[in-house]
Amino acid sequence: MPRPFHRDITFSIDGREVTAPENTILVDAAKYGDVEIPVFCYEPKLGQPVGACRMCLVEIEGIPKLQTACSTPVKDGMVVHTLTDRVKEAQNAVVEFLLINHPLDCPVCDKGGECPLQDISFGWGAGVSRFIEPKRHFEKPLSLSPLVAIDRERCILCYRCVRFSQEVAEDYQLVFEERGAHTYVSTFNGHPYVAPFSGNIIELCPVGALTSKPYRFRARPWDIEQAGSVCTLCPSQCNVSFTVRDDRVLRVLARDHKEVDDGWLCDKGRFAYQAIHADERITRPMIRDGGELREVSWDRALDEAAAALGRARGKVAAVVGGQTSNEEGHLLSHLVRDVLGSSDVESRVAGAPSAELRVALDHPDLQATVPDIEFAHAVLVIDAEPVDDMPIIDLRIRKGVRRNHVKLGVATSRPSSLDPNASAVARFAPGAGEAFLAALNAALGGGGVLSELAEAAGTTEQAVRDVAALFDATDLVILYGERLLSGPRADQTARALLNVAGKSFERGRDGAGLMEIPAGTNSRGLREVGCVSDRSPAEIAEAAAGGDLTALYLLHTDPLVDLAGEWEPALDRATTVIAHSMFLTPGIAEHATIVFPAESWAEREGTVTHPDGRLQRLRAGIGRPGDVRACWQTLAELSKRLGADISILTGSMATAQMAEHVPIYAGITHDELGGQGVRWQERDAASAYPGDVDFGPFGLEAPPVRPRPSGSELQFATFRSIWGGPEVAASPALQFLRSRPRVLLSPADAQRLELFDGLAATVAPDGREAVEATVHVRDAVPEGSAFLESDVAGVVGTAGIRKAEAAVVV
Amino acid sequence: MTDPILFKDIDEPGLRTLEVYRRRGGYDMVSKALAMTRDELVHDLEISGLRGRGGAGFSMGKKASFLPKTTMDKYLVCNADESEPGTFKDRELMTKLPHMLIEGIIIAAHAAGANRAFIYIRGEYQEVADILDAALVEARDAGYLDNLPLVVHRGAGAYICGEETGLLDSLEGKRGNPRLKPPFPANQGLYQGPTLINNVETLMTVPHIVRMGGESYAKIGAANSTGTKVVSVSGNVQRPGNYEIELGIASRELIYGLAGGPPEGREILFWFPGGSSSPVLTKDELDVPYDFDSMAKAGSMIGSGAIIIVDDSNSVVDVALKLASFYRHESCGKCTPCREGTNWTVKVLERIQSGLGTPMDLDIMASVQDRIIGNCLCVLGDSMAMPIGSMIEKFRPQFEEYMESRREVAA
Repeated sequence: MPRPFHRDITFSIDGREVTAPENTILVDAAKYGDVEIPVFCYEPKLGQPVGACRMCLVEIEGIPKLQTACSTPVKDGMVVHTLTDRVKEAQNAVVEFLLINHPLDCPVCDKGGECPLQDISFGWGAGVSRFIEPKRHFEKPLSLSPLVAIDRERCILCYRCVRFSQEVAEDYQLVFEERGAHTYVSTFNGHPYVAPFSGNIIELCPVGALTSKPYRFRARPWDIEQAGSVCTLCPSQCNVSFTVRDDRVLRVLARDHKEVDDGWLCDKGRFAYQAIHADERITRPMIRDGGELREVSWDRALDEAAAALGRARGKVAAVVGGQTSNEEGHLLSHLVRDVLGSSDVESRVAGAPSAELRVALDHPDLQATVPDIEFAHAVLVIDAEPVDDMPIIDLRIRKGVRRNHVKLGVATSRPSSLDPNASAVARFAPGAGEAFLAALNAALGGGGVLSELAEAAGTTEQAVRDVAALFDATDLVILYGERLLSGPRADQTARALLNVAGKSFERGRDGAGLMEIPAGTNSRGLREVGCVSDRSPAEIAEAAAGGDLTALYLLHTDPLVDLAGEWEPALDRATTVIAHSMFLTPGIAEHATIVFPAESWAEREGTVTHPDGRLQRLRAGIGRPGDVRACWQTLAELSKRLGADISILTGSMATAQMAEHVPIYAGITHDELGGQGVRWQERDAASAYPGDVDFGPFGLEAPPVRPRPSGSELQFATFRSIWGGPEVAASPALQFLRSRPRVLLSPADAQRLELFDGLAATVAPDGREAVEATVHVRDAVPEGSAFLESDVAGVVGTAGIRKAEAAVVV
Repeated sequence: MTDPILFKDIDEPGLRTLEVYRRRGGYDMVSKALAMTRDELVHDLEISGLRGRGGAGFSMGKKASFLPKTTMDKYLVCNADESEPGTFKDRELMTKLPHMLIEGIIIAAHAAGANRAFIYIRGEYQEVADILDAALVEARDAGYLDNLPLVVHRGAGAYICGEETGLLDSLEGKRGNPRLKPPFPANQGLYQGPTLINNVETLMTVPHIVRMGGESYAKIGAANSTGTKVVSVSGNVQRPGNYEIELGIASRELIYGLAGGPPEGREILFWFPGGSSSPVLTKDELDVPYDFDSMAKAGSMIGSGAIIIVDDSNSVVDVALKLASFYRHESCGKCTPCREGTNWTVKVLERIQSGLGTPMDLDIMASVQDRIIGNCLCVLGDSMAMPIGSMIEKFRPQFEEYMESRREVAA
C-alpha cells in the first residue's frame, strides 16, 4: 500500500502565509507557521479525531460556525484565524467550562508543572471563573489497576485513555460510565485495568487524573531531568526517556519514534525500571571462595579472570545474552577469538541456519521495516506471538489492520491475541513450522503434496489455503519468530521460508519483505558483529560437560534460566565460569566463579540493532551504582591483561572499533546515530553486504514425522511471556504480573485428563525435568496441544500432563 | 386548507392491519416507485421540496442524492427515537399507520440505493414497537420485504440517540454518543457504510409524493416549506393533540382554532413553536406563519413540529429549570460546553429557586448560553441554550421578580 503522499499547499493563518502538506490536520499545519492551537482530546496517535474537548475552535473564512482545528484538514487557500475575539471567547469559554468541575489541586497533583490543563488555562483562559456552585465530587484517588491511580475529579473527560484502550491496544476495558456531568472513566466490568500496555494512558492523560502509582509523589517536574535512551528489555527497542532525580530513574516515558515504537511503551518497559535500583543488584565484583561468592576489588577480580582465561586458552566458550550491546558483543568476540584462540561465541539460543542462508534471510532486499507493517497490503505472522515476543509490534499490527485495512494472517501453534483481527488463522503442531512452510510453499505452487504436508504440520489444507490467499497482496510483510528457524532442522526450515518469501514479493521492493522477531533484544546486532559459532548452545553445554571446554564466559545471560539444553553438568564441570550480571540468578549464584556487576539499561553506552536493521544508541541516563563498571571497559581490560591491548578508553571508542570490524556498520558514530538511529541498509556501507546470495527456490526435503503423543501425553511447547525475565522479577510494582508456570490446555484435553482451571498439574516434558504449573483451560487451544509458560522459550516435543500430587485448587 | 394526507384515513378501524391498509390503497406506490430509476425517484423527491420532519428540516431528496452510487452495502435508517419533549406525532402515526411507514421505507431505500433498513425506535415505545413488529411480519409474508431486510431496533432510553450519529453508534451496539461530522452519514454512516437517515413522518410522506408526483406535492404549503405537517400541540391548551396542517398557516389559527387556545381566563405567557429546544415566542408573535422560513425569521424554528403552550399560571423560571434539568440529564458528556454548561445552568437555576440568587446570575446564565451555542459537537447543547437564552432575553423582569420573591421567602 503506498504511503500517503501530500503535496504542499499554502494557507493563511493569523495573517501569515504558511506552506504545509495538503490535508494535514489544522492543529499540526498551524505549527508550520509557529502558531499553536491548544488541544486536549486531539492526539494523532489515537487515530481519528473525536472533537470532544472543543478547545481547538478556530475561525475559517467562508464557514459561519467556528470549526475544530483537530478535525479540519488544511486546504489550499484556506484562511484561518486563531486570534479573533470570537475565537478567544470560545477558548475562554472552554477553559472556564473545563475548570468548573476541576478541583484545582495543582499544588498536590503529580501533573503540576507538566500539565497541559495548567498550560492551556494560563495561555488561553480568562484567568477567573464565575462558577460559584459546589463542584462535582468523586471518591479519590481510586485504584484503576495496581499500576495506575485514577482521580475522577481531575478528569476532563477528553476520551484519550478510553480511545487508547478501545482503538489502539484493543483490550476494550476502559469505558465511560454514566453520562453528562456525571460521566466517569471506568473499566467495563469494574475489575482492575490490567493489560500489557495499560501504562500508556498515564502519559496520554492531559491532566493529573491518571497517575503512575510507582511514581506518585516521588518528584516534581522542576527537580527531575529527562534522559533519552533505548529500552533493551525486548527486541522492540522502544525509544524511551528516563525521568531522573538524584541519579535514580523514577519513571520511564515514551520518546516517540514513528519508525520504531510509534510513541507507545509496554508496561514492562515502563515499570521495570524499579529493577535498576533493586537491593538485589550486584554492585561489586565477586569471586567464589570456599564455595561462596565474596565481594573483591576490581583489580583482584580482573587478575583472577585474566589468569583463568589465560589458562583455558583454546578451551573457552562464551554465551552471549540478548541484551548485550554491539560493542560488548564485538569486544567479547575479540577476546575469545583473537586473544584466547577459541571460536565459540554464541548469541543464538538454539541451532540456527547456516551462514549462507542467513545472508539470504537478512539481505537488505528482503528486509521489511516496522512502518511497512502498517502500510502493507497484508501481514503474515509465523510462529511468533508479538505481544510476548516483541510487544510494540502487536500495536503496530493492530493499527495497520484497524486503520489501513491491512489483511492479517496468523500461523502459529499457540493461539494468538491477534487471532480476532486476522483474516486467516492457521494452527500447526508445536515445532511443525517447517512442515507448515512446506505446505504453504505447496499451496503457492512450489511443489509437494499439500494435503500430506498439511497433515504433517498438524493443520488443515483449508487453513493453509487461507494463509496462501494473503499472497495475492502486492506488499506482503512476513514476520517470523526466531524460534521458527531454531533447532536441528533450521536449514531446511530457512529454505522453505525463502521459497515462500520468493512467492510473495519481488526482491528489493519497498514496503514488502521479511522481518524476524528475535529471541533476544539485540539478536540481530550480535549476529552481525560476529557472535555466532558453529556450535549451538546445547552443543557448547555438551562440550563443557564432557570437559572439552574448561572456561565459560556468560555475558548477560544465565543458561539455567534462559537456555534449553543440559547446562547444569556443564556449569558444574567447567573450572571457570565468568558472568556479567545484574542479579544473582540461579545458575550464577550456584556456579559462577567470577562475577562482574553489570550495568542496567539506564546506565549503558553503546549501540543495539533493531530487527529491521536500525542501529540505535544507548545513552547513560544515570551513573553506575556502587562499584559497577562499564562492560566494554571490563572486556577491554581483560584483553589488555591477556596481552592484547586494544586501547579503548571511552564508550565511543568502543563503538568506533566495533564499526571498524563490522563492514556493514563501517564508519558509524554516536553522532550519526543521534536520537533516532539509522538503518544500516540505508547507508553506503551496506554495499559491503555479501553479494553472491542464493535466494532459492530450493528443493525441499520431506519434513520429519512429528512425534505422536499417546495416553496422557500431549504435543508440547514452552513460551516466554512478556512478564518473564529477572527485571520483572525484581520490580515490586510488577510482581502481580510476574510470569509463573502456567500450562494452557484445550477444554477437551482438560476434561480427558481430569484437569480444570486453577488446578496444579505436573508437566513432564519428554526427557526433561517435570515442572509444576497451574492449569489454564482455553477454548482457543487446539486439542492435543499444551503450552507451558516458562523463561526458556521454544522447547518443543511431547509432555505428559497429570494432576499434581496433593493438588490444591487455587 | 388542503385535505389531510397522512391523516386521511386515520380513524379507520383496523388501519394498522395489512388488509385494511391495502384496501385504502396501501402499498400501491411500491411497484410504481420501484419501476422508476433511482435518479427519477430522487429527482421527484427533490422537486417535491419535502424537508425533514424530525427537526433539522433538511431537503429529503437532496440527502438521498448524497449517497454514493457504489455497489457497497448501503443502509436506510428510520429515526423513530421520538424524544423531543412535546413531540408525539410519530407515536400516533406508527401506532395507526405502521404499513405506511414500511411502504415509505421500501421506496426511500430504493431512492437511496440501500439494501438494508432499520427502524430505530425509542425503548419506551414498547407498544408501538410491537405494532411495528406485527406489521413487519405481515409485510414480509406478503413479499414486500423480499429484497430489503428490515429490522426494528429498540433503543435503551437516551434522548441523544435521536441525534443521527448518536443513533448510529447506538445501533452499532456502542455507547450512543454523537460523532464528529464530517464524515456525514451519507458517506460514512452505519458500519462505515453510506446511510440515509430520515424521520418517521418524512418517510411516511414519501409514498404520497410518489402518488401525487413531486411537482403537485410542491404546490401544497408555503414557498420553501411544502406539504403538510403533523403538529403535536400540548401544554396549556384546551384540545391538545396531533393536527395535520398545511405548512404556512397562521400559528394563531393552529393554537386557538384547532387546539382551542389556553383555558378560560388564562393568557399565553410564551410558547415553543418546535419542541422544547426551540427558542420561545411570546403572545405577540402568534401571527407568524407556521412554516420553516417564517419561524426562522422570527428567531425560532419548526423543529419537530411540537407546539408547547405555557400560560400565565406558570413561572418562566420553573419552566426554565425543568427544561435545563432535562437537557443536563440527557447530555451525553462527550463535549465540554454541553456537559458543563447544562450542569452549570441547572445549578444556577436551582440556587435561584432556593432563594440564593445573586444579581449577576442572569448575566452569567445568559453568557453561559452564548458560550454553548455553536461551540458543541452536536445540537444538544444548543437545544438547551437557545430556549433558555430566549427566556432570559424576553422575560428578564419576570426572572428578576422571581429571584426577589424567592429571596424573601428564603430570608
